[in-house]
Amino acid sequence: MKTHPHIGVLALQGDFAEHIQKLQELGAVATEVRRSSDLEGLDGLIIPGGESTTNATLEAALQSLHSRTSIFDTIKRKAQNGMPVWGTCMGSIILAKNIEGSDQGRIGLMDISLKRNAFGPQRESAEILLDIPILGDKPFRGVFIRAPLFLKAGNSVKILSKLGEGFVMARQGNLLATAFHPEITDDDRVHRFFLEMME
Amino acid sequence: MNEVAALGRLPVVNFAAGGIATPADAALMMQLGVDGVFVGSGIFKSADPAKRARAIVLATTYFSDPAILAEASRGLGEPMVGRSAKSLAETELLAVRGI
Repeated sequence: MKTHPHIGVLALQGDFAEHIQKLQELGAVATEVRRSSDLEGLDGLIIPGGESTTNATLEAALQSLHSRTSIFDTIKRKAQNGMPVWGTCMGSIILAKNIEGSDQGRIGLMDISLKRNAFGPQRESAEILLDIPILGDKPFRGVFIRAPLFLKAGNSVKILSKLGEGFVMARQGNLLATAFHPEITDDDRVHRFFLEMME
Repeated sequence: MNEVAALGRLPVVNFAAGGIATPADAALMMQLGVDGVFVGSGIFKSADPAKRARAIVLATTYFSDPAILAEASRGLGEPMVGRSAKSLAETELLAVRGI
């Protein structure tokens, strides 16, 4: 891992501030990304939790202003060139190739199918102890807030944590997806894992 | 109090509401440090609510980007118009009718 990798956090909407704080605690340089130009020179990018429709709408609204470059297109291009990208909760929806019953705007590079709001409405939001073998024996306290559940994975996707009928953490090369929110717990193992992907 | 002093802000999410009618209003609130804005009549009492809503959302995200603010603020039509206290009949005044 680079000593001080420069990680961007997409800051259109959602809990980007919590990711930035976590990254800074781990010695990374973390900056907010709102425009395509903010993506220049980054070692990696986090797409945080939030509301996927709001993010897609904002992205489209920004493009409608004098046909600015689409941030999603720029992220897609950089991810295709190998930049590590990690999507948490809503971020995983933006990364996923298939969303059950939806064709909303997204990057769609990761070969997973998921179901939005799979755990039910807000009052069904829960903390679940997860088994994530790659992070060691200690369970990870996964915070699920109107979270998606990953249901299918392509051959190149490595499933890192299973839950019920599906899975909640997966990696495909330089792409990482978690259905839960590690940025709002005091466990920094998933953030460390992502920083180690900067090799 | 100690927590507020250490954080330099309230330890809860802080929204601004009331009287926000233009993208510039929303951006100003964000520049003052709120976490978000609520806008109701500022959108629905304007000439083109959908367009204005989109512009205010953009201004809230890009509150520190003057170029995007300027672009988003163009061609929105008439904003919500405020009412002068002088135009109110006496029976409409808070001093008379209460809240």
